[in-house]
Amino acid sequence: MGRLVLHRLAATVPVLLLVTAGVFALLHLTPGDPIDAMMAESVDAEAKASLRKELGLDRPIHEQYAAWMRRLLRGDLGRSIRNGEPVIENVSRRIRPSLELALLAMAVSLLIAFPVGIVSAARRNTAVDRAGTSFALFGICMPNFLLALLLIFLFGVTLRWLPISGYTDPVEEPLNGLRSLLLPAVTLGLALAAVITRTLRSSMLEALGEDYVRTARAKGLSEWRVIRGHVLKNALIPVVTVLGLQLGTLIGGAVITEYVFALPGVGRLVVEAVFARDYPLVQGVILLIALGFILSNLLVDLLYGWIDPRIRYR
Amino acid sequence: MVLHRAARARLAPFGAAVLVAAVLVALGAPLLAPYDPLEQNLGLALARPGRAHLLGTDNIGRDVMSRVIWGTRVSLVAGFASVAVAAVAGSLLGVLAGYAGGRADGLVMRAMDAVLSFPPLVLALALGAVLGAGLGGVLIALGVVYTPTFARLMRGQVLAITAREYVDAARALGAPGWRIAWHHVLPNAAPPIVVQASLSVAFAILAEASLSFLGLGIQPPGASWGSMINAGRGYLQQAPWIVFGPGAALFVTVVGLNFVGDAIRDALDPRL
Repeated sequence: MGRLVLHRLAATVPVLLLVTAGVFALLHLTPGDPIDAMMAESVDAEAKASLRKELGLDRPIHEQYAAWMRRLLRGDLGRSIRNGEPVIENVSRRIRPSLELALLAMAVSLLIAFPVGIVSAARRNTAVDRAGTSFALFGICMPNFLLALLLIFLFGVTLRWLPISGYTDPVEEPLNGLRSLLLPAVTLGLALAAVITRTLRSSMLEALGEDYVRTARAKGLSEWRVIRGHVLKNALIPVVTVLGLQLGTLIGGAVITEYVFALPGVGRLVVEAVFARDYPLVQGVILLIALGFILSNLLVDLLYGWIDPRIRYR
Repeated sequence: MVLHRAARARLAPFGAAVLVAAVLVALGAPLLAPYDPLEQNLGLALARPGRAHLLGTDNIGRDVMSRVIWGTRVSLVAGFASVAVAAVAGSLLGVLAGYAGGRADGLVMRAMDAVLSFPPLVLALALGAVLGAGLGGVLIALGVVYTPTFARLMRGQVLAITAREYVDAARALGAPGWRIAWHHVLPNAAPPIVVQASLSVAFAILAEASLSFLGLGIQPPGASWGSMINAGRGYLQQAPWIVFGPGAALFVTVVGLNFVGDAIRDALDPRL
């Protein structure tokens, strides 16, 4: 296991270097002068020159990159142009709603996907199975911003059961907090639930055809015990893989969900920074999101090795 | 498995019909749209769906149906063009990596890993932002996002195919590298690329709609499904049809393209 961790960490280093180079290059991809793009035309030349100097844009590009990397290694991700605060502070203020949303969405998706996937596979080719697979198709094809608006229309505007936007901290006010996060979590969780349902169903069908399942049935075990004791655990490996593969979609989905429901999370921060043309903030947040994404993928890989010991010895 | 395939095959004609209809609507938009998609009529703002306006009108009295019809063009162009850009760029990079091997291979594939280290929508958003709003920026951004998948696929194909005996035979006969790549590797590597491309188009259309929804992509007053949905969300209570018209068009198109993608995969790759 230790070797697997080291191997995966070592493979991450060159990718990380290229990721930083890519994020650095973002600013320089802007057609024309990034300073003009960031600052309104009315701003005087002196302010522009000072920002240019602050961002180091007056120096040769390799020097800029070296200086940027040195600051990065000290943990300095730069400052937002809009509010002048360090990127780290901007992000840390916004991280809690995002994490709460992600956890709740994950919970929603598992609560939906496991019963639907298991029943679909166990009752293959029945009406229940067809309903389950139709649900999965719906979830995969439904754009989350459209789903968000449908949920708002139904539960917020028509039935008036849940708030349609805004955020209440569930730690301070548990009930109102959960109410404010419920529609966003369902929006984000449904697509994930659809993918997990589909994967779980097909991997369970595969496991159900194995010899050990026939043996277990021949021993006289009830169908539920066969599924719980023999099928489910073996069917989980592809589910973990898919969960890992879906992380990127989940983060992208969170950007849209936070935007639609006006949740003050990191995803909304990205959109705000993009439209304010606050490039240092865009660079910093994107880099942090990429780091988080790489780290989560690493964890999924290790989790994979833990669930299926065969993988460690390859 | 057989039953599953049969069920899919039953759905493929529906998918094909949706795709053909979408292409016809996109091509025939000037003839099919009952009104000018940009024509405002404030006296008719937020009109309910009815005989004059089948899908109603929006907040400044534009015909929703005409805008949905013109939006079909944007969605299809964005979906197909961005995947085409990615398939060509990714295939070239994959051939280069697989063929050259060594350092070039390492560099290209690590660069692809780096692109994959960003959540796709976040990367597309950042790229779209620096490239500037507009369809061109979105096409390039989505092209970049989808390139690594094709590069990885193509590289794997090249490695597998160049190890075959007929390639050895061609080499022994003195065929130059480009000739082997063009005549032996590319034709054999094409089917998985076509499968991947057909599966990617639906997702690219969804991604373009998401970016338009966030405000990148086609700028107002131009019509795209994503931007129409975003513009309509403020009127969900009074005029939900502003959202539902383009929403239904987007959903049906994506479902149809998924069926077509599945059918192409089943036809070209019986192992799956």
